[in-house]
Amino acid sequence: MTTTTSAVPQGSGQKPTVKQLRKGLNAKFTLLLLVLPSLFLLVLINLYPFIYAFFQSLHDGSLIATGPFVGLQNYTDVLTSPAFWKAAWFTLIFTIVGVFGSWLVGLGLALLLRTKIPGRGTFKVLLMLPWVVPIVVSSTAWNYLLATPDSPIPALLNAIGINSPLFLADPTWAKITVCVFKVWVSFPFMMLMTSAALASVDGVVYEAARMDGASNWQQFRLITLPIIARSTYISWILMTIFCVNDFPTIYLLTGGGPVDATTSLVVLSYRTVFQNFQTGPGVAIAFLMTITLVIVSVVLFRQIKKAANQ
Amino acid sequence: MSILHEVEAATPEPVQNSATADRESRGQWWRFALIAIISIIMIIPVVITVILSLRPGLTSTTAGFTFENFKYVFTSTDTVKWLGNSLAVTIGTMVVSVIVAAPAGYVLSRGKSRAVSGYSLLLFVIQSLPVITAVIPLFVLFARIGLVDSLLGLAIVYVGASMSVATWMMAAYIDSIPITLEEAAWIDGASLFGGFRRVVLRNSLPGVMSTAIFTFLVSWNDYLVAVVFLRTQTKYTLPIGLQSFFQQNATDWGSVMAVAVVMMLPPVLVFACLNRFFSVGGVGGSLAGQ
Repeated sequence: MTTTTSAVPQGSGQKPTVKQLRKGLNAKFTLLLLVLPSLFLLVLINLYPFIYAFFQSLHDGSLIATGPFVGLQNYTDVLTSPAFWKAAWFTLIFTIVGVFGSWLVGLGLALLLRTKIPGRGTFKVLLMLPWVVPIVVSSTAWNYLLATPDSPIPALLNAIGINSPLFLADPTWAKITVCVFKVWVSFPFMMLMTSAALASVDGVVYEAARMDGASNWQQFRLITLPIIARSTYISWILMTIFCVNDFPTIYLLTGGGPVDATTSLVVLSYRTVFQNFQTGPGVAIAFLMTITLVIVSVVLFRQIKKAANQ
Repeated sequence: MSILHEVEAATPEPVQNSATADRESRGQWWRFALIAIISIIMIIPVVITVILSLRPGLTSTTAGFTFENFKYVFTSTDTVKWLGNSLAVTIGTMVVSVIVAAPAGYVLSRGKSRAVSGYSLLLFVIQSLPVITAVIPLFVLFARIGLVDSLLGLAIVYVGASMSVATWMMAAYIDSIPITLEEAAWIDGASLFGGFRRVVLRNSLPGVMSTAIFTFLVSWNDYLVAVVFLRTQTKYTLPIGLQSFFQQNATDWGSVMAVAVVMMLPPVLVFACLNRFFSVGGVGGSLAGQ
């Protein structure tokens, strides 16, 4: 077929060397072919919509029509609306509680599960369940347990003499319940991340520290924390992204209510587009959220680098 | 505390052993009790789901456990249809994702050019974008080409949504396969693609498993994309089906929980049987993102 060394066809009888294959046009072409399907999907499903979304955010359109160009009008509208800031505030609280709440619970359990306990393997599997079970299922179960004053948990509280709050109907309690639900869903992930980091610590180090008279707290602060710092920062970043982008955890439990008390930015964006049919402002909300998320991630990434350099 | 330890270290061997062992075992049982209580509290919502699904329904007077809720939802509701839809979308997503991500992961792992690192960066940027940002324009695009309210459209979005993490996972696994294996194949006359197919793919079963589990969970558990794209009740996947069934039958907890159990069984079984493939960075990270 061809005699050039840079493009050795298969079955030409000529045995190509590694170098030829690696550097040859043929190899480059193959590599391109291998990556092409994935590149096509990325552009179609991820990149194109993102660019189109930005275009939408500059127009006063609907889901079916593009509408006239309005510049940054949608952004100023959104930024001056109280609903946006209310949702932003709740997203912040939800994220902070979600990240650190699940981290503390996950860390505590990971430390506990590291010690000698009968049936440790069973507990490890059981404690993963909140994370393995689909949110749609667990939110249904939580609804059963909490939703009305006659539900099992309020009934139990009333029975033992505690005046049960309306977990999902009172604005403040709904916020607390949604945050607790998020912690419940996410702590196994943190437990898994921390366990993996802790597994790399040699037990001899603690033995030596104890010999030197270090207290449990000192051992934790001076040995454990520095070792798990890197993985902790990574899990914080991931969990921040998960919390900010979270939709089902909130929407399935409260639908964003009562009186918008648990409306996060994603829920607000979803409702603006698919319930109020205002595409421009809805997409603008999603964009503002994305920008904030990228900034927060960058700040946290710097922290990781600092931790890694220590 | 610290003084105690020093004293123990100084006391003769046998005494120290029995004292430490005694205290050690007492501490062990305290911790056992603590973790048992925490575990029980944490799995209450899961246990209650299973119990309610097995309890006799509202109209029935029988005591004890029964499968009549399951019989009811399988024969008189759209649950079978939803289960079929979910399985079709999930299996389709899994197969296509692995077929697309494996070669891309190979290029990402072996390629050293600037284009490859640029591609890697692109994957990272895309991964951090919120799904909602992509869903709205995709709805507009898919409405034009008739892919709204279609399981095919849904599967396409899932493949795209899991593509960047799936590619990373495959690349990370292929990194662990020594390149000398392929080099040997090349010397024997294999092409680049031949080396990938016959040497790399054959040795990446764990990587393929992790990637498949990850995409399975993405498409099985998704709510947001499905709620935006699916309109007809017979086209619902299980998450939307369960949610609408719950809204229509909120007092019939037995039937609602029977559908819930149908939905949670596959991921729980996958986790129980294949948890060694739940690598922390890959499946772990993505699952919590649902």
